[in-house]
Amino acid sequence: MNDTSSRNGKYFDIDEILIEEELVPVVFHKSANGVKVDPSAEKDCVDEGAKVELPFWLSQELYLRQAVSINVPACFNQKTRREIQADAANVDLRSRCPYFYEFGCKIAPIVGDRTIGKMLLSTFQMRYKDILTKAHTAAYAVASKFLAVLTKEETNLYEAAQSSMAAFKKWRIGGPRIQRASVLGRKRKPID
Amino acid sequence: MHGRLGSRLVKELASGEKGQLTHFNDELLNEVIKECSENFLALQSLIRKMQEEGLDFQTTRNADHYGALINHLSLIRNKRCLMAYMYNRAEMIQNLAWTVGLRLFELPEEIQEKLSHLEKDYFKRHSAALESYMSKVDLNLNVWMPQKSHENGSESLSVGLLMTKVHLSDEESEGFGNNILLSVSIDNVTCCKKSLIKIVLINQIFKANVLVSAKDMVPPKDPYIKVRVLDDLGEGIVVSDKAANFARHSMHFLKRTDAEPYISRVFLAQQGLMEELTG
Repeated sequence: MNDTSSRNGKYFDIDEILIEEELVPVVFHKSANGVKVDPSAEKDCVDEGAKVELPFWLSQELYLRQAVSINVPACFNQKTRREIQADAANVDLRSRCPYFYEFGCKIAPIVGDRTIGKMLLSTFQMRYKDILTKAHTAAYAVASKFLAVLTKEETNLYEAAQSSMAAFKKWRIGGPRIQRASVLGRKRKPID
Repeated sequence: MHGRLGSRLVKELASGEKGQLTHFNDELLNEVIKECSENFLALQSLIRKMQEEGLDFQTTRNADHYGALINHLSLIRNKRCLMAYMYNRAEMIQNLAWTVGLRLFELPEEIQEKLSHLEKDYFKRHSAALESYMSKVDLNLNVWMPQKSHENGSESLSVGLLMTKVHLSDEESEGFGNNILLSVSIDNVTCCKKSLIKIVLINQIFKANVLVSAKDMVPPKDPYIKVRVLDDLGEGIVVSDKAANFARHSMHFLKRTDAEPYISRVFLAQQGLMEELTG
């Protein structure tokens, strides 16, 4: 077990696993037998020069062994960047990639595009303020629409902002502190 | 596609509501394991092929080598997905022992049926380990069992169990090490500020009955709380040497330690038997 993720203690991390499942367009420099990665191939093999979309975990390892070259994934293309420049807060990043920032950080060093890092930072900065403001002010009906465009990390941020505000209010006015175990769910018995 | 099923398994964990168990997905798990064996067979046959061609499979870089490599990576990836699935569920199951009950029959049915046979076994053994630990340090950590009246009078301790961590190594997730980390905060009349002491130490220093709450880490402002009864409990229950009629929807002013088990714990009913009233 010598991949990077096991070394930094995230071997069992669900998010970490799902980030690495994101698809990356690659071009094969070597052919490979006995694999089912190319849906257009007739047999179970990939030919040299084949363009395939592979999950990140596979493309990274193959890239390190110079078997493939990696192209910029669709969620970081020019179209998305232009949309972000126009109005970062309203771009639907979730449908593009639910792990936009984390995936970006992983892909940036191996794709050889130096602008990705900067783009991620500026995107986050622009959206950050908006998320925090909306977490405190948005009404429930609006919030669900707004939440649908957030990435996983942004959703966590949004929830953290809300729960800290709720905890603050609770601290001020007092409230029940002993509660039922959360694992049992919120279901209540119907009153008969 | 390689590893697709494995990630579906992990996605299932992620898509569930936070902290909620989902049904153990036997079917998908077996499919992933099947994919693993397919990967292994393909890997073996590719290496055999290279050996038959008289090539050194350590150094040759041909199509068969890359095929074998991809199969190898898929195998490792699937293993990681499977391990993560089991590990994350196991963590939730460990928490059940702290927040719900140490015995399997104490868990509500809908949780029990979500567990696989092995997980139930794991729960039992984990609880047994906890119990033997508790008896070894002579300390009852249960939140749901009201203690006898405190012998030392004013020295009643409320110890919040902040975290328990069992270190598991990747490969040997079976038996866990004895490295249990317990952070404990104490509030009581004599030492009002929160302090962190090892739980074992406390037992040696204070020979008082210790009540551990797994949920409420904040020192209470008042030893008494107002509660409302949610279910008909009848008159059979004695709290603090007094019997009271706990009819449904009746309200009572109870000692916090007496009421705690009825609030935080769910019996065979789907809800707590009392709730705390505030305001």
